[in-house]
Amino acid sequence: MSNAPHILVIDDEPQILRAIRTILTEKQFRVTTASRGEEGLTLAATNEPDLIILDLGLPDMDGVEVCTRLREWTQMPIIILSVRDSERDKVAALDMGADDYLTKPFGIEELLARVRVALRHAASRKGEQSKVVKAGSLTIDLAWHIVKRGDEEVKLTGIEYRLLAHLAANHDRVLTHQSILSHVWGPEDADHTEYLRVYMRQLRKKLEEDPERPQFILTEPGIGYRFLADD
Amino acid sequence: MNSASMRASSVLSQFWKYVFAALLITFVTVILFVLRGLLDTSIIALLYLIPLGVITAYWGAGPGITGALLCFLTFNYFFIEPYHTLAVHRPTDVVILVIFLIVAVVISQLVGRAQAGLAAATAREREATQLYELSTALTGLHDDQTIARILAKQVHAVAEGEYVELNITGSRSLRFRLPDTDPPVRPPELIVPIEAARGTLGEIRLWRADRAISPGEKRLLQTFASQGALALERAWLAQAESRAQVLEESDQLKTAILSSVSHELRTPLSTIKAAASSLRGGEVRWDSPARAELIAAIDDEADHLNLLVGNLLDMSRIESGALKPKRDWNILAEIIGSVLARMKHLAVEHKLEIDVPESLPLIPVDYVQTQQVFTNLISNSLKYAPPNSMVRIRARVEGEMIHVQVSNQSPQVPIQDLERIFDKFYRITAADRVTGTGLGLSICKGIVEAHGGRIWAENISDGLAFNFTLPLTWDGAKPPQLPIDTEME
Repeated sequence: MSNAPHILVIDDEPQILRAIRTILTEKQFRVTTASRGEEGLTLAATNEPDLIILDLGLPDMDGVEVCTRLREWTQMPIIILSVRDSERDKVAALDMGADDYLTKPFGIEELLARVRVALRHAASRKGEQSKVVKAGSLTIDLAWHIVKRGDEEVKLTGIEYRLLAHLAANHDRVLTHQSILSHVWGPEDADHTEYLRVYMRQLRKKLEEDPERPQFILTEPGIGYRFLADD
Repeated sequence: MNSASMRASSVLSQFWKYVFAALLITFVTVILFVLRGLLDTSIIALLYLIPLGVITAYWGAGPGITGALLCFLTFNYFFIEPYHTLAVHRPTDVVILVIFLIVAVVISQLVGRAQAGLAAATAREREATQLYELSTALTGLHDDQTIARILAKQVHAVAEGEYVELNITGSRSLRFRLPDTDPPVRPPELIVPIEAARGTLGEIRLWRADRAISPGEKRLLQTFASQGALALERAWLAQAESRAQVLEESDQLKTAILSSVSHELRTPLSTIKAAASSLRGGEVRWDSPARAELIAAIDDEADHLNLLVGNLLDMSRIESGALKPKRDWNILAEIIGSVLARMKHLAVEHKLEIDVPESLPLIPVDYVQTQQVFTNLISNSLKYAPPNSMVRIRARVEGEMIHVQVSNQSPQVPIQDLERIFDKFYRITAADRVTGTGLGLSICKGIVEAHGGRIWAENISDGLAFNFTLPLTWDGAKPPQLPIDTEME
């Protein structure tokens, strides 16, 4: 039991805390809760949990700020919770180092899936990074720069490959427009969302069965993109 | 005499009028002197009256009377014996001279007076015309900016000033300058306050150095200022009234929301409550299929509830003008694709036909809001169109806009309702037959209009079509070009 991942939930709504605690405990996680930002920061420092679930709308401080202060000393995964239509806050928190987000109300499978991905990423960050990412019929070899669809190699342009490699290396995590743009094109092009639109479309045409209904390169409306890999 | 030559003669300084009068008399005297042997003294006296009439008519009474005296002297000196003296020997000549003087002075005065009366009448007519022009220009204006601009322009034109500045002080302060540069350094030659019933609204400042501002001009400008004050007050009253009307409407909206929403929200809530309580009370057997159904109902109704709350939020944002599109260059096909992927489970009973050309340029829209427009239009089509019918989505570039059409084979809408279906809470079908908040289409309208587009519905041969347009440019900017990409080695 003591090996079970430890999750800290910071949310000011008692009902949500109760529901999340019940379900996560049921799934064999250890759960600590905090209802205020300061309390959450203290608990994060003393307990060093494996993952933090953080609500952006806290009574005492801005959730984005909690995120920033956590990132000053720890790389533990942070999943943020927020209500609809607060894309700006979500993007700010993600750019501040949060790993993923969920929009309230959310289904519990979604929450569990995000928790698993975040824990897996934290683990792979410590150990060896996987060099080959598989998603359906796609195989992306990050070491040899080879992309295959089935047995056939897919020809990609320089930018297309850099883009796909960045997505695949961070598979299952949401990446904001800004972070992708500054990683692939450079910080000076961080506002050119249109590059992303066009190149993502090209990538989808080369990699997806139906580019209009992508299976691997998913759009997170108003936020960014997510590459869905096999478990 | 027309007003242009009036103005030209008024420009002539008084001095030149006297000089011209003297020159004219000299000229006439020279001609008469040449003809002296042929003409009788009394004829010469009569002929002298001609230049006098001309002088008075053109240059006024002052030069006229001076001219009369001058004529009297030249007439006496050159034409009455003994010549080249001012002495008079013959009694008849004395009579002619005296009569000439009297007639000349009387004519000068009469003509001068008529002339002055005419000038005054013309000036009054001009003032009246200018006032009329101003009040016509100000009629029906409800925008204080425009009123201030017109007022400043008219003052500038009428006073022929070098610089006019119009200041409105107080809570709605604004300033208008003509020409659009910094005012001269020296203080203005004239300051006219703009006074209204509630006090001073501001002032007009006029710079004009080349000639003094006459009392008549000052009076006219004061009248202008009070006309402007009236127009401004009228505009502000109208604005206040329309604000009051907006408040009243939003109050009515709140009432409508409360009644419609409490009904709409209670429906899913009742389902959830009933399902949850029956599961909790142990009335449903653990393994019965009803159990799964109840759980699915809770899940579905919770989603429905979430959608309703989202719609209400959107509507209140649109109403309060807080819905600001966060624009980005987007691919329309991608937005439509993502909406269809999300609505897959809803669209099983209908056929979909997508006609969006690959060559469409990037469009500057808010991704999430545009998704919402498509979601609402498609779900509306699915709701009203019969099963197995066709829902079509078509997009084309038309000039500076992109034109999107979502059409379906639902029953046609009466022409008088085609516009009203975009109103809040407006439904053609009775509320109990179709679920929803009655907000979907008005949210579409709000979003499309916030993007600078237009939305409308029309009956087509086999159903109903929703049309909307979105601009292809973003603050005048065309879709951007991409940097050059190279093949991977």
